[in-house]
Amino acid sequence: MKNAADIVIIGGGISGVAIGYFLLKYGAKNVVILERDFLGAGATGKCGAGIRQQWGASINCIMTKFSCEFFENAAEELGCGDVDFHQGGYMLLISTEKELEQTKKNIVLQNSLGIESVLLSPQEAGEMVPLLDTSKILAATFHRKDGFLSPFKTTQAFAKAFERLGGTIYKATNVTGIDVTNGRVTAVKTDKGTISTNIVMNAAGGYAQQIAKMVDAKLPLYSERHNILVTEQLERTLSPMLMSFSLNLYMQQAPSGGFIMGRTCANQPRDLRVTADSNFPVEMARTVTNLLPKLGQLRMLRQWAGLYNMSPDKSPVYDEVPETKGFYVAAGYSGHGFMLAPATGQAMAEIILGLSPTLPWDKLGLSRFSSGNLIVEPSVV
Amino acid sequence: MLERSGIPEQAQIDCVFPAEERLEKGPVAVIECFEKIPCNPCAQSCPKSAILPFVDINDRPVIDDELCVGCNACIKKCPGLAIMVVEYSGEKALIKLPHEFKPLPEKGQIVNALNRAGEPVSDAEVVRVIAGKVSVVSIAVDRHLIKTVRGFSFKEKPEIPEKNMGNLELNNTNELDGIVCRCNDLTLGDIRKMISDGYTTIDELKQLARVGMGPCQGRSCIPIILGELSRYLETPIKDLLPTNFRPVVTSVKLSDLAEHDEERTSV
Repeated sequence: MKNAADIVIIGGGISGVAIGYFLLKYGAKNVVILERDFLGAGATGKCGAGIRQQWGASINCIMTKFSCEFFENAAEELGCGDVDFHQGGYMLLISTEKELEQTKKNIVLQNSLGIESVLLSPQEAGEMVPLLDTSKILAATFHRKDGFLSPFKTTQAFAKAFERLGGTIYKATNVTGIDVTNGRVTAVKTDKGTISTNIVMNAAGGYAQQIAKMVDAKLPLYSERHNILVTEQLERTLSPMLMSFSLNLYMQQAPSGGFIMGRTCANQPRDLRVTADSNFPVEMARTVTNLLPKLGQLRMLRQWAGLYNMSPDKSPVYDEVPETKGFYVAAGYSGHGFMLAPATGQAMAEIILGLSPTLPWDKLGLSRFSSGNLIVEPSVV
Repeated sequence: MLERSGIPEQAQIDCVFPAEERLEKGPVAVIECFEKIPCNPCAQSCPKSAILPFVDINDRPVIDDELCVGCNACIKKCPGLAIMVVEYSGEKALIKLPHEFKPLPEKGQIVNALNRAGEPVSDAEVVRVIAGKVSVVSIAVDRHLIKTVRGFSFKEKPEIPEKNMGNLELNNTNELDGIVCRCNDLTLGDIRKMISDGYTTIDELKQLARVGMGPCQGRSCIPIILGELSRYLETPIKDLLPTNFRPVVTSVKLSDLAEHDEERTSV
């Protein structure tokens, strides 16, 4: 193992490998990624893998639009094979008047930012998704450039590009401590050896708070279990990703044909457990068969869970921790870390290398939680 | 219960065993394949077409006892070693068992006859050994044990040949085309390529190639891949990074789940 590095990134999920790639792209040298298990072993490998640009806060629209455009060109930019980006669009289903009112405002905002979302009548939504019971919705919105991609292939593509640019990845390497001298990071200790460095990038996802504790920093974040299930495979019949805030579900039909679906359930543990929740399949099945009754005939194959790293305003945190020079954090994605990854990489490279901002990360710092300038995002599950 | 213990119940054994009249007529195959998994080599192995053709690769094999001549061909083809041939021979019953361990017993050797739980139930004489990639060992036991005996063990611990690599002698090019994962159609060549590309844990291979994620949940592929990883990394299997093993899927309809009544079940 190397004994010194310019920058050490803790966490080999999609955020860590994306940050590593953008750092090297903008001229950083000698960057190391430390991963406890294998790349994408945490929330990245468990996620629903959707990307949408339909938000109610402009900052989220801008960040995800950047990410989406990056994914469109990922094969060329990263010099990798296909990352299976399926741009079948995202359909947001609306079932309450209040939601409809908010959605109309969101569409005006999105269109002003170059996101071509449209409002659909229930009939139009039904034509696009014949499985849908349109009597359950008031309207829907659709943006054709949204979709989903393979989290596994995308992570590997970033990692390969990172290594091609000279970066080093240590898998199966557990960070055990971080040395701080005179308020400045000096080294990262692992079970395989110590790397001296002046810059540590905390990209540990669900474990970001624990890594922060190593420098006595307390982040206003917590991790919560979220559940997903997959059904048996069926000929492809559902092209867009479906989502509803008021009906509490998101789902996609994966390229293999299996329907992957999730929802937010009450009383989920916040102690980093990702064990199966026996109530979830029942709640999920009720939700989905209410809205898409024909899917009742499908059989569930498997369920799993991963961690959402939640922030107080459900928007990400990109910052240097004020008390510890050289200790940076990118976390708190609140369930959107995968779709935000290219924006995360770009933002953190700009912050760490002192580049002029091309993304509005100045509004996503830690100080917003004490100053009260929270990001108000009405459109999250 | 089979799902918990791996040991079939008497009723399950009775279902796959030929009738007594058929047993009196001569050797016949018994297929103890109780779970629906995507596996069909047996259906194509029978020279008499006694194993009925599969409609779906997940079908369980059904054997036509009247067509079966007890030729042993299917014994060697079943990856799960689920097939044996039985026959009455005078006062004795002959049990012809698939065997993948080394060393092989010798003709005339007295061994322990084992039941399906692996417990010794009587002595048995080895009457014939047909050596092969899957060897067939015939042992003679008392007639009444025909439905009881399903294996044997040595009376004394045999000397283990040096460099015991099991039966994984897959090195020539043809074998690279061999299917390792039937659920997702992956060959040994595909797996070796991924391992040499640096994906050296079961979990990475699961994520990228979906091995172990299909209906069999890794029962066929994972042991082979563990062997491959062990050889590539020169690390004993017990020291490789572990993965989650899950039972064979019992898939449930979403509509049945949606109708689940919490008050009715307390499990």
